[in-house]
Amino acid sequence: MSETPKKRVWARWVVLAAIILGLYLFTGFFGIGLGIKPIMPHVYLPGEKLSETPLFGIAGFYPTNTLIGLILADIVVLLLAVGVSRGVAGGKQVLTGISGAVEGLIEMLYGITESTAGKWTKQIFPWFATITLLVLAANWSGLIPGNETIGLIHHYDGHGYDLKQVGPFTTIWDESKPGDEHHGEYAVIPFLRPVSTDLNFTFALAFVAVVMVQVFGFRSQGMGYLTKFWNTKTLFSKPIFGVIDFGVGILELVSEFSKILSFAFRLFGNMFAGAVLLFVIGSLVPVFAQSMFYLLEFFIGLIQAIVFGMLTMVFMAQATQGHGEHHDEAH
Amino acid sequence: MEAEAAKLIGAGLAMIGAIGAGAGIGIVTGGAVQAMSRNPDMTATIQTNMILGIAFAEAVAIYCLVVSLLILFVF
Repeated sequence: MSETPKKRVWARWVVLAAIILGLYLFTGFFGIGLGIKPIMPHVYLPGEKLSETPLFGIAGFYPTNTLIGLILADIVVLLLAVGVSRGVAGGKQVLTGISGAVEGLIEMLYGITESTAGKWTKQIFPWFATITLLVLAANWSGLIPGNETIGLIHHYDGHGYDLKQVGPFTTIWDESKPGDEHHGEYAVIPFLRPVSTDLNFTFALAFVAVVMVQVFGFRSQGMGYLTKFWNTKTLFSKPIFGVIDFGVGILELVSEFSKILSFAFRLFGNMFAGAVLLFVIGSLVPVFAQSMFYLLEFFIGLIQAIVFGMLTMVFMAQATQGHGEHHDEAH
Repeated sequence: MEAEAAKLIGAGLAMIGAIGAGAGIGIVTGGAVQAMSRNPDMTATIQTNMILGIAFAEAVAIYCLVVSLLILFVF
Protein backbone atom coordinates (compact mmCIF):
# COMPACT_ATOMS: atom_id res chain seq x y z
CA MET A 1 0.00 0.00 0.00
CA SER A 2 2.90 2.37 0.69
CA GLU A 3 3.78 2.50 -3.01
CA THR A 4 0.36 3.49 -4.31
CA PRO A 5 0.41 7.23 -3.52
CA LYS A 6 3.71 7.70 -5.38
CA LYS A 7 2.36 5.96 -8.48
CA ARG A 8 -0.80 8.04 -8.40
CA VAL A 9 1.12 11.32 -8.33
CA TRP A 10 3.15 10.15 -11.30
CA ALA A 11 0.02 9.12 -13.24
CA ARG A 12 -1.62 12.48 -12.55
CA TRP A 13 1.09 14.30 -14.49
CA VAL A 14 0.78 11.86 -17.37
CA VAL A 15 -2.96 12.55 -17.59
CA LEU A 16 -2.36 16.31 -17.46
CA ALA A 17 0.31 16.05 -20.15
CA ALA A 18 -2.07 14.02 -22.32
CA ILE A 19 -4.80 16.66 -21.93
CA ILE A 20 -2.38 19.47 -22.82
CA LEU A 21 -1.09 17.49 -25.81
CA GLY A 22 -4.67 16.92 -26.95
CA LEU A 23 -5.49 20.61 -26.60
CA TYR A 24 -2.34 21.51 -28.54
CA LEU A 25 -3.15 19.08 -31.35
CA PHE A 26 -6.83 19.77 -31.78
CA THR A 27 -7.47 23.44 -30.98
CA GLY A 28 -6.57 26.19 -33.37
CA PHE A 29 -7.63 29.30 -31.48
CA PHE A 30 -5.35 32.37 -31.30
CA GLY A 31 -2.75 30.74 -33.49
CA ILE A 32 -1.72 28.33 -30.72
CA GLY A 33 -1.99 24.65 -31.49
CA LEU A 34 -2.14 22.72 -34.73
CA GLY A 35 -5.90 22.74 -35.17
CA ILE A 36 -6.18 19.20 -36.53
CA LYS A 37 -9.76 18.34 -37.42
CA PRO A 38 -11.07 15.31 -35.56
CA ILE A 39 -12.21 12.53 -37.86
CA MET A 40 -15.58 10.82 -37.73
CA PRO A 41 -14.77 7.18 -38.48
CA HIS A 42 -16.98 5.30 -40.89
CA VAL A 43 -19.63 3.20 -39.28
CA TYR A 44 -19.92 -0.30 -40.70
CA LEU A 45 -22.62 -2.54 -39.32
CA PRO A 46 -21.11 -5.93 -40.28
CA GLY A 47 -17.56 -6.81 -39.29
CA GLU A 48 -15.09 -5.45 -41.82
CA LYS A 49 -13.03 -7.86 -43.89
CA LEU A 50 -9.29 -7.56 -43.34
CA SER A 51 -8.54 -9.56 -46.48
CA GLU A 52 -10.50 -10.68 -49.49
CA THR A 53 -9.41 -14.33 -49.37
CA PRO A 54 -11.64 -16.57 -47.21
CA LEU A 55 -10.01 -18.41 -44.30
CA PHE A 56 -9.26 -22.12 -44.87
CA GLY A 57 -10.92 -21.86 -48.26
CA ILE A 58 -14.42 -21.87 -46.74
CA ALA A 59 -16.66 -19.65 -48.83
CA GLY A 60 -17.92 -16.62 -46.92
CA PHE A 61 -15.60 -17.13 -43.92
CA TYR A 62 -13.49 -14.00 -44.15
CA PRO A 63 -10.97 -12.83 -41.55
CA THR A 64 -12.94 -9.91 -40.13
CA ASN A 65 -11.76 -7.57 -37.41
CA THR A 66 -14.51 -8.82 -35.09
CA LEU A 67 -13.03 -12.32 -35.48
CA ILE A 68 -9.76 -10.92 -34.11
CA GLY A 69 -11.79 -9.35 -31.30
CA LEU A 70 -13.29 -12.78 -30.54
CA ILE A 71 -9.85 -14.42 -30.47
CA LEU A 72 -8.63 -11.68 -28.12
CA ALA A 73 -11.61 -12.17 -25.80
CA ASP A 74 -11.03 -15.95 -25.81
CA ILE A 75 -7.36 -15.46 -24.96
CA VAL A 76 -8.25 -13.13 -22.10
CA VAL A 77 -10.72 -15.65 -20.64
CA LEU A 78 -8.18 -18.48 -20.99
CA LEU A 79 -5.45 -16.40 -19.34
CA LEU A 80 -7.83 -15.62 -16.48
CA ALA A 81 -8.51 -19.33 -16.05
CA VAL A 82 -4.80 -20.15 -16.04
CA GLY A 83 -4.07 -17.30 -13.63
CA VAL A 84 -6.79 -18.36 -11.21
CA SER A 85 -5.79 -22.02 -11.29
CA ARG A 86 -2.20 -20.98 -10.53
CA GLY A 87 -3.39 -18.75 -7.70
CA VAL A 88 -5.40 -21.62 -6.26
CA ALA A 89 -2.52 -24.07 -6.69
CA GLY A 90 -0.27 -21.65 -4.81
CA GLY A 91 -1.99 -22.81 -1.63
CA LYS A 92 -2.72 -19.38 -0.19
CA GLN A 93 -5.65 -19.03 2.19
CA VAL A 94 -6.75 -15.75 0.65
CA LEU A 95 -6.41 -15.23 -3.10
CA THR A 96 -4.86 -11.92 -4.08
CA GLY A 97 -4.64 -9.87 -7.24
CA ILE A 98 -6.46 -10.97 -10.38
CA SER A 99 -7.44 -14.37 -9.01
CA GLY A 100 -8.95 -12.66 -5.96
CA ALA A 101 -11.03 -10.39 -8.18
CA VAL A 102 -12.21 -13.34 -10.29
CA GLU A 103 -13.04 -15.25 -7.11
CA GLY A 104 -15.22 -12.34 -5.98
CA LEU A 105 -17.03 -12.22 -9.33
CA ILE A 106 -17.54 -16.00 -9.47
CA GLU A 107 -18.78 -16.05 -5.90
CA MET A 108 -21.32 -13.34 -6.69
CA LEU A 109 -22.51 -15.20 -9.80
CA TYR A 110 -22.75 -18.46 -7.84
CA GLY A 111 -24.80 -16.77 -5.14
CA ILE A 112 -27.29 -15.44 -7.69
CA THR A 113 -27.54 -18.87 -9.37
CA GLU A 114 -28.05 -20.64 -6.06
CA SER A 115 -30.89 -18.35 -5.04
CA THR A 116 -32.69 -18.87 -8.37
CA ALA A 117 -31.89 -22.34 -9.65
CA GLY A 118 -32.00 -24.37 -6.43
CA LYS A 119 -30.84 -27.97 -6.90
CA TRP A 120 -29.83 -27.39 -10.52
CA THR A 121 -27.18 -24.82 -9.53
CA LYS A 122 -24.21 -27.11 -10.32
CA GLN A 123 -25.42 -27.76 -13.87
CA ILE A 124 -26.58 -24.25 -14.70
CA PHE A 125 -23.77 -22.22 -13.14
CA PRO A 126 -21.04 -23.10 -15.73
CA TRP A 127 -23.22 -21.71 -18.55
CA PHE A 128 -23.95 -18.54 -16.63
CA ALA A 129 -20.31 -17.93 -15.70
CA THR A 130 -18.92 -18.80 -19.14
CA ILE A 131 -21.33 -16.53 -20.99
CA THR A 132 -20.81 -13.69 -18.52
CA LEU A 133 -17.01 -13.88 -18.59
CA LEU A 134 -16.79 -14.18 -22.38
CA VAL A 135 -19.22 -11.33 -23.02
CA LEU A 136 -17.49 -9.23 -20.37
CA ALA A 137 -14.08 -9.76 -22.00
CA ALA A 138 -15.59 -9.02 -25.41
CA ASN A 139 -17.32 -5.83 -24.22
CA TRP A 140 -14.32 -4.49 -22.36
CA SER A 141 -11.99 -5.17 -25.29
CA GLY A 142 -13.71 -2.14 -26.82
CA LEU A 143 -12.06 0.03 -24.17
CA ILE A 144 -8.49 -0.76 -25.27
CA PRO A 145 -6.89 2.36 -26.79
CA GLY A 146 -6.09 1.89 -30.46
CA ASN A 147 -8.98 -0.44 -31.16
CA GLU A 148 -11.14 0.83 -34.05
CA THR A 149 -8.42 3.39 -34.90
CA ILE A 150 -5.33 1.38 -35.92
CA GLY A 151 -5.76 -0.64 -39.06
CA LEU A 152 -5.43 -0.99 -42.80
CA ILE A 153 -6.08 1.92 -45.10
CA HIS A 154 -8.30 1.09 -48.02
CA HIS A 155 -9.90 2.91 -50.90
CA TYR A 156 -13.39 4.10 -50.09
CA ASP A 157 -15.80 5.41 -52.69
CA GLY A 158 -18.09 7.42 -50.47
CA HIS A 159 -17.33 10.22 -48.06
CA GLY A 160 -13.69 9.45 -47.27
CA TYR A 161 -10.61 11.33 -46.14
CA ASP A 162 -7.17 12.20 -47.56
CA LEU A 163 -3.92 10.43 -46.84
CA LYS A 164 -1.02 11.99 -44.97
CA GLN A 165 2.39 10.75 -43.88
CA VAL A 166 3.06 11.47 -40.17
CA GLY A 167 6.50 10.22 -39.19
CA PRO A 168 6.65 6.48 -39.97
CA PHE A 169 2.87 6.13 -40.13
CA THR A 170 0.36 6.82 -42.84
CA THR A 171 -2.89 8.23 -41.57
CA ILE A 172 -6.15 9.57 -42.89
CA TRP A 173 -6.48 13.31 -42.61
CA ASP A 174 -9.42 15.67 -42.93
CA GLU A 175 -8.32 18.46 -45.27
CA SER A 176 -11.72 19.69 -46.35
CA LYS A 177 -12.45 23.36 -45.80
CA PRO A 178 -15.86 24.39 -44.51
CA GLY A 179 -18.35 24.78 -47.33
CA ASP A 180 -16.43 23.00 -50.05
CA GLU A 181 -17.52 19.70 -51.49
CA HIS A 182 -14.11 18.04 -51.66
CA HIS A 183 -13.87 14.56 -50.14
CA GLY A 184 -10.88 12.30 -49.86
CA GLU A 185 -11.01 8.73 -50.98
CA TYR A 186 -9.61 6.69 -48.11
CA ALA A 187 -10.88 5.11 -44.91
CA VAL A 188 -9.45 2.84 -42.22
CA ILE A 189 -10.41 -0.78 -41.56
CA PRO A 190 -9.40 -1.30 -37.92
CA PHE A 191 -7.56 -4.47 -36.92
CA LEU A 192 -9.55 -4.87 -33.73
CA ARG A 193 -13.22 -4.35 -33.04
CA PRO A 194 -15.07 -5.72 -30.01
CA VAL A 195 -16.80 -8.91 -31.07
CA SER A 196 -20.08 -7.97 -29.40
CA THR A 197 -20.58 -5.28 -32.07
CA ASP A 198 -21.01 -8.09 -34.61
CA LEU A 199 -24.54 -9.47 -34.93
CA ASN A 200 -23.18 -12.90 -35.91
CA PHE A 201 -21.54 -13.36 -32.52
CA THR A 202 -24.49 -12.21 -30.43
CA PHE A 203 -26.91 -14.26 -32.51
CA ALA A 204 -24.78 -17.39 -32.20
CA LEU A 205 -24.42 -16.92 -28.45
CA ALA A 206 -28.18 -16.33 -28.09
CA PHE A 207 -28.90 -19.46 -30.15
CA VAL A 208 -26.59 -21.55 -27.96
CA ALA A 209 -28.20 -20.13 -24.81
CA VAL A 210 -31.80 -20.79 -25.90
CA VAL A 211 -31.02 -24.29 -27.22
CA MET A 212 -29.39 -25.12 -23.89
CA VAL A 213 -32.50 -23.83 -22.11
CA GLN A 214 -34.52 -26.49 -24.00
CA VAL A 215 -31.88 -29.11 -23.17
CA PHE A 216 -32.24 -28.31 -19.49
CA GLY A 217 -36.01 -28.55 -19.81
CA PHE A 218 -35.78 -32.06 -21.32
CA ARG A 219 -33.15 -33.16 -18.80
CA SER A 220 -35.27 -32.18 -15.83
CA GLN A 221 -38.73 -33.25 -17.07
CA GLY A 222 -38.07 -35.67 -19.88
CA MET A 223 -40.65 -35.68 -22.69
CA GLY A 224 -43.10 -33.99 -20.35
CA TYR A 225 -41.34 -30.74 -21.14
CA LEU A 226 -43.14 -30.72 -24.49
CA THR A 227 -46.51 -30.23 -22.75
CA LYS A 228 -45.33 -26.69 -22.06
CA PHE A 229 -45.71 -26.04 -25.79
CA TRP A 230 -48.46 -28.52 -26.79
CA ASN A 231 -50.76 -28.43 -23.82
CA THR A 232 -53.75 -30.72 -24.51
CA LYS A 233 -54.05 -31.99 -20.92
CA THR A 234 -56.92 -29.69 -20.00
CA LEU A 235 -58.33 -29.09 -23.47
CA PHE A 236 -61.43 -31.25 -22.90
CA SER A 237 -61.65 -31.40 -19.11
CA LYS A 238 -62.03 -27.65 -18.63
CA PRO A 239 -64.56 -25.97 -20.93
CA ILE A 240 -62.97 -22.61 -21.88
CA PHE A 241 -59.76 -22.44 -19.91
CA GLY A 242 -58.47 -25.56 -21.63
CA VAL A 243 -58.49 -23.75 -24.95
CA ILE A 244 -56.76 -20.79 -23.33
CA ASP A 245 -54.09 -23.09 -21.88
CA PHE A 246 -53.53 -24.56 -25.34
CA GLY A 247 -53.15 -21.06 -26.81
CA VAL A 248 -50.69 -20.12 -24.06
CA GLY A 249 -48.62 -23.17 -24.98
CA ILE A 250 -48.41 -22.03 -28.60
CA LEU A 251 -47.42 -18.56 -27.41
CA GLU A 252 -44.66 -20.14 -25.29
CA LEU A 253 -43.31 -21.74 -28.46
CA VAL A 254 -43.26 -18.37 -30.22
CA SER A 255 -41.63 -16.73 -27.22
CA GLU A 256 -38.73 -19.21 -27.35
CA PHE A 257 -37.89 -17.90 -30.82
CA SER A 258 -38.36 -14.29 -29.82
CA LYS A 259 -35.96 -14.94 -26.92
CA ILE A 260 -33.18 -15.60 -29.43
CA LEU A 261 -33.90 -12.34 -31.23
CA SER A 262 -34.18 -10.30 -28.06
CA PHE A 263 -30.93 -11.74 -26.62
CA ALA A 264 -29.05 -11.06 -29.84
CA PHE A 265 -30.38 -7.56 -30.44
CA ARG A 266 -30.02 -6.46 -26.82
CA LEU A 267 -26.28 -7.13 -26.62
CA PHE A 268 -25.56 -6.08 -30.19
CA GLY A 269 -27.63 -2.88 -29.96
CA ASN A 270 -26.08 -1.77 -26.70
CA MET A 271 -22.49 -2.38 -27.69
CA PHE A 272 -22.78 -1.10 -31.26
CA ALA A 273 -24.59 2.04 -30.10
CA GLY A 274 -21.81 2.51 -27.53
CA ALA A 275 -19.17 2.32 -30.25
CA VAL A 276 -21.07 4.82 -32.42
CA LEU A 277 -21.52 7.10 -29.39
CA LEU A 278 -17.75 7.11 -28.81
CA PHE A 279 -17.16 7.92 -32.50
CA VAL A 280 -19.60 10.83 -32.44
CA ILE A 281 -18.40 12.32 -29.15
CA GLY A 282 -14.78 11.97 -30.27
CA SER A 283 -15.48 13.80 -33.50
CA LEU A 284 -17.45 16.58 -31.77
CA VAL A 285 -15.21 17.23 -28.75
CA PRO A 286 -11.79 15.74 -29.41
CA VAL A 287 -10.29 16.37 -25.98
CA PHE A 288 -11.33 14.87 -22.65
CA ALA A 289 -15.11 14.51 -23.22
CA GLN A 290 -14.67 10.98 -24.53
CA SER A 291 -13.22 9.86 -21.18
CA MET A 292 -16.63 10.30 -19.54
CA PHE A 293 -18.23 8.12 -22.18
CA TYR A 294 -15.52 5.52 -21.78
CA LEU A 295 -16.58 5.32 -18.14
CA LEU A 296 -20.21 4.91 -19.25
CA GLU A 297 -19.17 2.18 -21.69
CA PHE A 298 -17.27 0.45 -18.88
CA PHE A 299 -20.48 0.15 -16.86
CA ILE A 300 -22.68 -0.73 -19.82
CA GLY A 301 -20.26 -3.49 -20.81
CA LEU A 302 -20.40 -4.95 -17.30
CA ILE A 303 -24.19 -4.66 -17.00
CA GLN A 304 -24.89 -6.16 -20.42
CA ALA A 305 -22.57 -9.10 -19.72
CA ILE A 306 -24.32 -9.81 -16.42
CA VAL A 307 -27.78 -9.33 -17.97
CA PHE A 308 -27.03 -11.75 -20.82
CA GLY A 309 -25.73 -14.37 -18.42
CA MET A 310 -28.45 -13.81 -15.83
CA LEU A 311 -31.31 -14.05 -18.33
CA THR A 312 -29.85 -17.32 -19.64
CA MET A 313 -29.63 -18.58 -16.06
CA VAL A 314 -33.18 -17.52 -15.20
CA PHE A 315 -34.64 -19.12 -18.35
CA MET A 316 -32.74 -22.33 -17.62
CA ALA A 317 -34.00 -22.32 -14.04
CA GLN A 318 -37.57 -21.76 -15.26
CA ALA A 319 -37.24 -24.64 -17.73
CA THR A 320 -36.14 -26.99 -14.94
CA GLN A 321 -39.19 -26.10 -12.86
CA GLY A 322 -42.09 -27.89 -14.48
CA HIS A 323 -45.50 -26.33 -14.95
CA GLY A 324 -47.28 -28.54 -12.41
CA GLU A 325 -44.41 -28.46 -9.92
CA HIS A 326 -44.40 -24.70 -10.02
CA HIS A 327 -48.10 -24.48 -9.19
CA ASP A 328 -47.70 -26.82 -6.26
CA GLU A 329 -45.01 -24.58 -4.82
CA ALA A 330 -47.14 -21.52 -5.26
CA HIS A 331 -50.12 -22.83 -3.30
CA MET B 1 -37.95 14.65 -50.97
CA GLU B 2 -34.42 13.39 -51.25
CA ALA B 3 -33.85 9.82 -50.18
CA GLU B 4 -31.08 10.87 -47.77
CA ALA B 5 -33.40 13.29 -45.95
CA ALA B 6 -36.13 10.67 -45.71
CA LYS B 7 -33.61 8.23 -44.22
CA LEU B 8 -32.60 10.70 -41.52
CA ILE B 9 -36.24 11.49 -40.65
CA GLY B 10 -37.06 7.81 -40.56
CA ALA B 11 -34.16 7.05 -38.24
CA GLY B 12 -35.30 9.79 -35.91
CA LEU B 13 -38.91 8.59 -35.97
CA ALA B 14 -37.84 5.02 -35.24
CA MET B 15 -36.46 6.14 -31.91
CA ILE B 16 -39.89 7.31 -30.68
CA GLY B 17 -40.27 3.85 -29.17
CA ALA B 18 -37.63 4.78 -26.60
CA ILE B 19 -40.31 6.83 -24.77
CA GLY B 20 -42.01 3.70 -23.47
CA ALA B 21 -38.77 2.06 -22.42
CA GLY B 22 -37.70 5.20 -20.58
CA ALA B 23 -40.95 5.37 -18.64
CA GLY B 24 -40.80 1.65 -17.96
CA ILE B 25 -37.25 1.74 -16.61
CA GLY B 26 -38.18 4.71 -14.44
CA ILE B 27 -41.14 2.87 -12.94
CA VAL B 28 -39.11 -0.29 -12.34
CA THR B 29 -36.24 1.55 -10.66
CA GLY B 30 -38.57 3.74 -8.64
CA GLY B 31 -40.41 0.73 -7.31
CA ALA B 32 -37.18 -1.10 -6.55
CA VAL B 33 -35.70 1.86 -4.67
CA GLN B 34 -38.85 2.19 -2.57
CA ALA B 35 -38.81 -1.51 -1.81
CA MET B 36 -35.12 -1.40 -0.89
CA SER B 37 -35.59 1.57 1.41
CA ARG B 38 -38.44 -0.22 3.22
CA ASN B 39 -36.63 -3.50 3.51
CA PRO B 40 -32.86 -3.07 3.13
CA ASP B 41 -32.24 -6.75 3.93
CA MET B 42 -33.84 -7.77 0.63
CA THR B 43 -31.58 -5.47 -1.42
CA ALA B 44 -29.73 -8.31 -3.22
CA THR B 45 -32.89 -10.06 -4.42
CA ILE B 46 -34.63 -6.84 -5.37
CA GLN B 47 -31.59 -5.66 -7.29
CA THR B 48 -31.43 -8.89 -9.29
CA ASN B 49 -35.09 -8.64 -10.23
CA MET B 50 -34.73 -4.93 -10.95
CA ILE B 51 -31.89 -5.53 -13.39
CA LEU B 52 -33.93 -8.24 -15.11
CA GLY B 53 -36.93 -5.94 -15.39
CA ILE B 54 -34.79 -3.13 -16.72
CA ALA B 55 -33.27 -5.48 -19.28
CA PHE B 56 -36.73 -6.47 -20.57
CA ALA B 57 -37.96 -2.88 -20.69
CA GLU B 58 -34.77 -1.73 -22.32
CA ALA B 59 -34.95 -4.41 -25.01
CA VAL B 60 -37.79 -2.49 -26.69
CA ALA B 61 -35.69 0.65 -26.90
CA ILE B 62 -32.83 -1.41 -28.25
CA TYR B 63 -35.06 -2.76 -31.03
CA CYS B 64 -35.83 0.84 -32.00
CA LEU B 65 -32.13 1.65 -31.87
CA VAL B 66 -31.25 -1.32 -34.08
CA VAL B 67 -33.93 -0.30 -36.58
CA SER B 68 -32.68 3.27 -36.74
CA LEU B 69 -29.04 2.12 -37.02
CA LEU B 70 -30.07 -0.20 -39.85
CA ILE B 71 -31.83 2.69 -41.61
CA LEU B 72 -28.80 4.95 -41.17
CA PHE B 73 -25.93 2.64 -42.00
CA VAL B 74 -27.23 -0.29 -44.03
CA PHE B 75 -30.00 0.79 -46.39
